[in-house]
Amino acid sequence: MTPIPAYLPAAWRHRISAWWKSRIPLTDTLTLNQGNIYIVPTRAGLMFLLTVALLLVASINYQLGLGYLLTFLLAGAGFMSMLITHGTLRGLTLHLRAPASVFAGEPAVLEAVLTAPARGLAGRPGRARWGIGLSVDDSDAGWAWVDVPAGAQATATVSFVPIGRGLHPVPTLRLQTPFPLGLFRAWTVWRPAAKVLAYPRPETPCAPLPVSRSARGDPTGTRRVGGDETEGVRNWQRGDPLNQIVWKKSVRALETGGDLVSRDTSVAAHRELWLDDQQAGLSGIEQRLSRLAAWAIAAERVGADYGLRLGGREWPPAHGASHHRQVLEALALWS
Amino acid sequence: MHMSGLAPPALRGWRSLPRDARDTLFLLAVIGWTVLPHLPNLPAWCIAFAAAVLLWRGRLAIANAPLPSRWWLVAALGIAVALTAWSHGTLLGKEAGVTMAVVLMALKTLELRARRDAFVVFFLGFFLVLTHFFYSQSILTAIAMVGAVWGLLATLVLAHMPAGRPPLRLALAEAARAAALGAPVMALLFVLFPRIGPLWGVPQEMTAKTGLSGTMTMGGMAEVAQDESVAMRVRFIGGGRPPPQALYFRGPVLDVFDGREWRSSLPSNPPTQSLGEEGVAGPTVAYELTIEPLRLPVLPVLEMTVDPPQIDNDEANLRLTRRFDSVWVAQRPLIERVRVNAVARLAQRAAPVQGTRDLRDLVALPAGYNPRTLQWAFALRRDPRYAQADARALAQAVLQHIRSAGFSYTLAPGPYGENDPRATVDEFWLDRKAGFCEHFAAAFVVVMRAMDVPARVVTGYQGTDPFPVDGYEIVRQSHAHAWAEYWLPGTGWVRADPTAAVAPDRIERSRNLVPARGLVAGAIEAMSPNLLVQLRNAWEAVNNRWSQWVLNYSRGQQFELMKALGMRSPNWMDLLVALLVCASALAFGGALWTVWDRRHQDPWTRMHQRVRLKLRGLQVDAPAHAGIRTLVEHVRARYGASAQPLAESLLALENQRYGRSPLRRPSPTWWREFSERARALASISIPDQAGATRR
Repeated sequence: MTPIPAYLPAAWRHRISAWWKSRIPLTDTLTLNQGNIYIVPTRAGLMFLLTVALLLVASINYQLGLGYLLTFLLAGAGFMSMLITHGTLRGLTLHLRAPASVFAGEPAVLEAVLTAPARGLAGRPGRARWGIGLSVDDSDAGWAWVDVPAGAQATATVSFVPIGRGLHPVPTLRLQTPFPLGLFRAWTVWRPAAKVLAYPRPETPCAPLPVSRSARGDPTGTRRVGGDETEGVRNWQRGDPLNQIVWKKSVRALETGGDLVSRDTSVAAHRELWLDDQQAGLSGIEQRLSRLAAWAIAAERVGADYGLRLGGREWPPAHGASHHRQVLEALALWS
Repeated sequence: MHMSGLAPPALRGWRSLPRDARDTLFLLAVIGWTVLPHLPNLPAWCIAFAAAVLLWRGRLAIANAPLPSRWWLVAALGIAVALTAWSHGTLLGKEAGVTMAVVLMALKTLELRARRDAFVVFFLGFFLVLTHFFYSQSILTAIAMVGAVWGLLATLVLAHMPAGRPPLRLALAEAARAAALGAPVMALLFVLFPRIGPLWGVPQEMTAKTGLSGTMTMGGMAEVAQDESVAMRVRFIGGGRPPPQALYFRGPVLDVFDGREWRSSLPSNPPTQSLGEEGVAGPTVAYELTIEPLRLPVLPVLEMTVDPPQIDNDEANLRLTRRFDSVWVAQRPLIERVRVNAVARLAQRAAPVQGTRDLRDLVALPAGYNPRTLQWAFALRRDPRYAQADARALAQAVLQHIRSAGFSYTLAPGPYGENDPRATVDEFWLDRKAGFCEHFAAAFVVVMRAMDVPARVVTGYQGTDPFPVDGYEIVRQSHAHAWAEYWLPGTGWVRADPTAAVAPDRIERSRNLVPARGLVAGAIEAMSPNLLVQLRNAWEAVNNRWSQWVLNYSRGQQFELMKALGMRSPNWMDLLVALLVCASALAFGGALWTVWDRRHQDPWTRMHQRVRLKLRGLQVDAPAHAGIRTLVEHVRARYGASAQPLAESLLALENQRYGRSPLRRPSPTWWREFSERARALASISIPDQAGATRR
């Protein structure tokens, strides 16, 4: 990607590439101009040059006036395609939407918003930008292609997989275009400042939840709640969140004239669960965090109040999306 | 071609086609368009093959079916190569090359898997476009090829719009835009790129064209007769225009007959040798001849042009020599326009010299051909009236026979030798008696040779257009002619034109070989006889410009341009320098623009920057990220009620940009007002200044 000759040893290339990238400032919003767009001829461009040279030789040898005209027309169009290719990226503004947190090992989605200015050079109307590809640098994943109309925005979505838990810097992104003729490739290297939080990878299959106590304080005994087990169901009531709806049963109910069916979490609602890393019963800290994450997911799913005890700190029992996130973030950032 | 195959009801389906199918069909149509003008130059199997492959590929695209395996392609290619070798006798050379290019192009469409394959199609396509110019460089060809190049560029653009389903119109527009932007570069290169001669010898086969061919068969010239294009322009210097019947422009002399074809026995590049014609007497006529590219190594000057013709600006180094058969030959085919100045004698006799060749060879006839004509000739020779006759008397007798035996002159005599290919002359001379110059010339020579008189066929041009334009008389391809010469001992070669015997009009008034008018042209001519002539004149004027400025734009014209630009004695290095200067100017302009572009900011951003600096001068907190409203708040916080005018001014700026009728850039008067108010505010709030600095 960086213009590093391929004949250099791989180690050198890697080092030069790293040095090159380190010079690029971290930013979530990048406007492309002469300074950060690179452009080189593609292999097809070199082939095109050869073609034009052959056409020129043929025109000279057979003294073809029209042949000269054809040769120079192609040469002119090819040359101007270089400026058009460059112009396809120039003036674009890239912005990375704050990426959502994911579980380690799951792809993190990166959404880049490309904005084309409504005005071009000297106040003329801006041009639509065609055939722009976004990809994660140094990855084999393909390109996400978008077109950006003049004065409008388009979103290109790529993803990368954070391997471990914790905060991961967004990888270097590459934006390129071969438009219009594919003879030149213009690209830019973009290092977004944003970071992606990766929660610990949840243990699969989920270990049984620890013994819970009722809200009143007496342990409810031996009842075990598996990660995928569903509690009882009841008819849908106004205010039930969407993710509480049991869709399969709802379909059947609706067919027979009934109503939507919700998961009945009232049984669990009064239970209180403590997810304690001491109870996790595993030696490795990462394994324990994985188990705690799986528990947190299971507990959230059944709608129980759950708290977290982790290395002497406590997160009091509660449930709901924000509590869930808090717990997972604590697990992700634990050190 | 597929578009026409799909009837209008299918046009609705065009919109609903998946993008890949639509793009493929478009590419196939472009390929079809590119190949189409080659149809007359391709063998029938190749046309059928290409059409079948393209149509099949179109079907596959519509049906979204898988492409055939590579083995099929290899097999098809093998068959096509074998057929090419069979129909052209070789795989090299122009004709075979064009056939192969068409075949490869068609087969490649069955292999469009990666983008690399697509590029191969495009580059092959551009070559195919160039090959058209071997055959024709007319305006019509140019227009057709502009379409082909446009289509090829558009498919290239389409291949680089991977997202969604961009309309074809858009790809066409982008291709046109790239080409239009490139047009100035094209014009610059075309005008300034130094023109040089061919880099290496061009095989003659590669440059075949209608016109004189260097060989002659019965009926072969009918095609030339249809060709109204200009072959030469002649201007007689100093008055003295010879009569039309003396305007014989001598081209290839054909002295070998194999029963089917007449050709020349002499090498095209002979050693220089004097022919001993210097003593030829008679009045002279000086003339200037501009010869279009004839693609023959022969200079068709007037007969009896004894002194070497002077070639203007002979950069191509033609090295003319006069061959033993009195033909001026160049060392290579004339593939550029040549202008010569020459002097011809109007003597009616040629040199009494026969070079090294034995005259016995010039009475040779192929055995077993045309027995009845030979019988007829023997009978004439044995006729007691001609017992003592010399060659001249025999020739007169034969010409008299042509005049009196019911021969007719026609450009469409139909094919000869269909029944018996060994008796073409018999069929003409004794049976059908209808034909044009080459039939007459060939039969005359056969008869003369049968009577043991050395004779040969001469091809060339005869006559000119009746009305000169700007002093130039036009010789067209349709003025191509064939006549005969026989050897008269003691005198030398004597011209005999048997066509004149049957159609004196053809020779005396230079009526060229004009075939019957088509229906439309006939109708136009019936309505307004002048219209057709005027149309043709206008068209020829356009064509002349075209050939002067595009086809034959040469180094001479380049030098004239440089002279017009003020250069005293330009050479080709100057052209390169001019080109380099233009390129440097372009590069420098580009560099300047780059600097400008780096610094260039949106006018509103620039104004925001200026406002912030001004407010900083007023001790107002004005960070870069603060919008106008934030700045207003800060100004109010700093100065209170006295800041009202300035705040209003700032809000007016915001209104200019985001209001109901937004401006493209801040109005210049606004800044003046704003700075006045800022100054006023600064003078009011001098007492506050101390407080501000303390803070």
